[in-house]
Amino acid sequence: MKEDRREFLKKSCRVLSMTAMATQMRHFGLINALAQEKADTEGDDDYKALVCVFLDGGNDGNNSVIPNYDEGYAQYATARQAQGLAIARNSLLPITPASMGGQVWGLNPNLSELHSLWGLGKMAVACNVGCLVQPLTRATYQGGAPRPYQLFSHPDQAEQFRTAISSYKATTGWGGRLADHTGSLNMNPAIPMITSIAGANIFNNGLNTKPLIVGASPTPLNQVLALTGFGTAADELARRAAMSNSLAQDLDYAIVQNASAITQQALNVSAQLSVDPTLTVTFPTTTLGNQLRQVAKLIKVRTLLNMKRQIFFVQLGAFDHHSSQLNNHASLLRQVSQAIKAFYDETVAQGVASSVTTFTMSDFNRTFNPAGSGSTVGSDHGWGGPYFVVGDSVLGGNFYGRPTSNGTFVPTMVVNTGDDADIRGRFIPSVSVEQYAATLARWYGLADADLSLVFPNIGNFNGSNLGFMM
Amino acid sequence: MINVNDVCRRLRFLMLCGVTCLLCLLGSQSASALPDDAPVLISESNSTRALFTVSTGTKTRSATVIQPGRDTVVTFFITNVELLKGERANAFRADFEDSAHNRYPLQIVSLDASTSSVYALSVRLPVELGSVGDVLVRVTWRGMSSNRVRASIGFEGGKIEDDPGSVPTPMPTANISRKSKSAERADLPWTGDRVRFLEQATFGPNAALEIRVRRIGYSTWIEEQMDEQIYESYVYPNYPFFPITPSPTCDGNTLPPDSPATCFRDNYTMYPLQNWFYKEALYNDRQQLRRRVSWALGQIFVTSGRVNSQPSQMMPYIQTLDRNAFGNFRRLLKEMTLNPAMGTYLDMAISTAQNPNENYAREILQLFTIGLDLLNQDGTPVVDGQGNPLPSYNQTTINNFTKIFTGWTYCNQGCTSSQPGVINYRDPMIPNPANHDTSSKTLLNYSGATPVIPAGLTPEQDLEAALNNIFYHPNVGPFIGKLLIQQLVTSNPTPAYVGRVAAVFNNNGRGDRGDLKAVVRAILLDPEARGNIKTDPVYGKLREPVLFVTNVLRPFNPTANNNIGVPASCSGLSDGAINAITQPLDQDVFSPPSVFNYYPMDYVIPNTPLAGPEFGIFSTGTALKRPNFVNQMGPPNSSGATGILAVTGAASNTPCGTRIDLTRLEALAASDSTGVALVDTLNREMMHGALSSPVRNEVLNAVQSVQSTNSVKRARTAFYLIATLSQYQVQR
Repeated sequence: MKEDRREFLKKSCRVLSMTAMATQMRHFGLINALAQEKADTEGDDDYKALVCVFLDGGNDGNNSVIPNYDEGYAQYATARQAQGLAIARNSLLPITPASMGGQVWGLNPNLSELHSLWGLGKMAVACNVGCLVQPLTRATYQGGAPRPYQLFSHPDQAEQFRTAISSYKATTGWGGRLADHTGSLNMNPAIPMITSIAGANIFNNGLNTKPLIVGASPTPLNQVLALTGFGTAADELARRAAMSNSLAQDLDYAIVQNASAITQQALNVSAQLSVDPTLTVTFPTTTLGNQLRQVAKLIKVRTLLNMKRQIFFVQLGAFDHHSSQLNNHASLLRQVSQAIKAFYDETVAQGVASSVTTFTMSDFNRTFNPAGSGSTVGSDHGWGGPYFVVGDSVLGGNFYGRPTSNGTFVPTMVVNTGDDADIRGRFIPSVSVEQYAATLARWYGLADADLSLVFPNIGNFNGSNLGFMM
Repeated sequence: MINVNDVCRRLRFLMLCGVTCLLCLLGSQSASALPDDAPVLISESNSTRALFTVSTGTKTRSATVIQPGRDTVVTFFITNVELLKGERANAFRADFEDSAHNRYPLQIVSLDASTSSVYALSVRLPVELGSVGDVLVRVTWRGMSSNRVRASIGFEGGKIEDDPGSVPTPMPTANISRKSKSAERADLPWTGDRVRFLEQATFGPNAALEIRVRRIGYSTWIEEQMDEQIYESYVYPNYPFFPITPSPTCDGNTLPPDSPATCFRDNYTMYPLQNWFYKEALYNDRQQLRRRVSWALGQIFVTSGRVNSQPSQMMPYIQTLDRNAFGNFRRLLKEMTLNPAMGTYLDMAISTAQNPNENYAREILQLFTIGLDLLNQDGTPVVDGQGNPLPSYNQTTINNFTKIFTGWTYCNQGCTSSQPGVINYRDPMIPNPANHDTSSKTLLNYSGATPVIPAGLTPEQDLEAALNNIFYHPNVGPFIGKLLIQQLVTSNPTPAYVGRVAAVFNNNGRGDRGDLKAVVRAILLDPEARGNIKTDPVYGKLREPVLFVTNVLRPFNPTANNNIGVPASCSGLSDGAINAITQPLDQDVFSPPSVFNYYPMDYVIPNTPLAGPEFGIFSTGTALKRPNFVNQMGPPNSSGATGILAVTGAASNTPCGTRIDLTRLEALAASDSTGVALVDTLNREMMHGALSSPVRNEVLNAVQSVQSTNSVKRARTAFYLIATLSQYQVQR
């Protein structure tokens, strides 16, 4: 095994691009010291992974986590029942977060698998999280205080959740920047620190970090980046060489050069992904299930790929329920719940449940006040909402956050007062994306000194640790 | 204004200025490899050092070294440019490259005529630029890169080599008149520009179109395509409306079996439309331009088969795009607003005064017409004192537009296509005054606008007022103009190019606003679009999967596959079942994942300042599927059946299959054992002759490594390599 691995490392060094090489060299001193320290204290299995599950389009958090105590449910019903958007109280899956002082809350009935994880203390809820440039109240917001760029627009808000910078149009994502500043924790990695199973998006891009992007299951892991049609005869090798050599030409042309860089990276990693491991757990064959299954496979071959730290990005779309929300949202939540549970179970089977933390993000919450009514009822673009964090390193079974206008972590569930930005129940977040992300990033291994490099606006907010990670 | 003679005097270049050296600049003596339509940066007479002046604050002086600093403005001198009326500094870009090969884009400050043939271009140094020693300076204009001249930042020296073949390009002594180049050079025996033009205006060049354009020229060809009144070669698939919930025998599940077996596929999926689309793209040469523009507009006005899952629901939307591709934008806007597929997709069909839905109100502004930021007429954002863009509307604006779009729904009774029990997706939506919010609304405010719409108007009156309010917003020209340029020509047009197209949108020359014919003409005939070769480093666009695939197929006579013998019903043609190739490349035709299209139009290539919309779906995960497709169509390492195979059976998704014919390439390979004829032919037909010489050598080497008697493998090797090049993935 040791021999194989050394051989493997040599190979992976050969395929590292020159820039990656240079980055590696720069970090070499640091790496050595760090590696020695790790070896002394933690042995060989110091592994951590963050898995971002992006609910694209704006998940209705108001129908994901619902008040289940009398006054709370009454407020909820007042806002949503008449138009037909309220979830029946008797169907809610009850939860009792300690931080809410004995109040009973409920999860959407389609989140039964997540409910079981809550019961095991493996899932926490971060409350009223959203894009902010500085803390806001209803009064300061309505008075014109600084707010996120293009607030309530999809691409901008989704982007700000992914960049954790809401003051302007950032060009890097927080996943990418986190990888920039923790890249040295991977020594001679065979693949990039970040892998997206959901295509290119800004979350994955750092200043130096370029993500690996692969397709979901059922494509076997060793075929996601396969180049077909090459034999071993001399003229075949010549064709292959011509293809590779051409990728290093015309680099002056920026668009061509960027296409070449991505293709070259695919060819490099293609050579590394040589096995398709077998998993213990059967995943649902849904969009999200298939993506998380591929993530689980990559985690399973982490040692082979020499990965100590990994960030994964998966995504489920179609949450933009301006209409016909109830059935569609139910089926999406069921998919989320089942896929995350299967993934969690697989991390248990692999013995890495405390090394892998899965968390949700979305564009925004939706308006508490419905859009339309009856069978086609939906909701419009909102703001602050609840997000889920799952794993054995999560201090689960509780709500986390910062006080809203009513002193608790959740906004006052009434429109046109309290925490509403306007009249439709777009709740002003009490927790910024930066605070949510920084809590995860610190657990992942980001040094305190680098916190403000990854999250440049973190200093605008009250604390950088929401406390949901061990 | 800076007088060149003063500069020369000050720089003690009098003597040098007197030297007639223009010939070595523009002459034929191989002195410079610069194409004759490229701008020329002026150097000292006896070296490749730039001629320049430096200003800090109000002082302008000569210097040999430029000291970096926020206030430093450097003026360079350029010639061999001939400006159109109104063409200004925003037609130019400039950059420095230092010895570490870092590129610094420079902010253009001004452009002044020095003499009738020399212009002074002033640039501001980037804040992050330190004392890096010698740099190479470049200017680009209309997609053409200048020669690069040397300048010293902070100190003289450093290890940056001149470009190969670089020669001094001193100040011309006489006024030179740049050879005027008309866009019409189509009559020449062969020019790369004809193929380039077809890459922009069609789904891919082929021999027939190339000959047609050569005979009649660009303008006439454009008119010919625009005049054609029958929009399709293959009849629009016109399926009946089906119930929202499929019946058990038409639900795609095996038990009970569907009847017919294709019931679900043909009535509840985009399959028939996708096949139709690809057949049109492959075979309808008379409507290439309309189809390409319609396809581009459909990526701006997005709806999706993911919501409107029946082909009968999406077909009227596609017909609306086709019908208006060369019509007026205002009419397109209205027909799109009232299109039932759009009404479903963005919820206008259910938005009522009692229960308003803001989805359509938001996206019509953000995506279809004016965008998020206030724009100058050249498409650059209007900024405040701190350099921040100004939003073009806010949530209150959206709330008001939401009100104005209430009260419209499907015409399920009494219209031509109304049928009991199904939703009418063919006729435009109709008003239901009872559901319309009749309160007063305040819409977009801009010079000349009447933003306040009084209370009590009918839904129709409100709609017309709202669409006019949007249509006349000054953002529409630059916003739509730039998106169409990005779809057809290049991802990073100069502001000047956007400005020229926006001006035509604003006024087609006869006082009409929104004339899409004129806009398309302006885009395709612009000097930034035309030319045999473009050398600006940021020119071009990554081909999206659909365009990549159709460009690979169209030059090689795509037909039905003959692996099972061609069924007569195929008439020898491909069935168009090609979406199976592009769907895994993240372009599932007519089923984009969201209203933000297959890829976001504002996607920025990571770690660059460059727009690259198509890079939103080009990743390690999709990149290798492109060469794998090329291998499928003509595998060099196999002599077996190629292409998308035809499969027999009534329910087959590929009853005819698709193949291409490379026999003419094989003949070329057989006729010339050097491989040169083969490679150069592909270079002309697929690369408009722009293959760089190192890459040409790579391809040639690989071809020559195949036994010369194996002309099939030689042909396929050359085809594979050209079609998989990054240079081919990018339309330049």
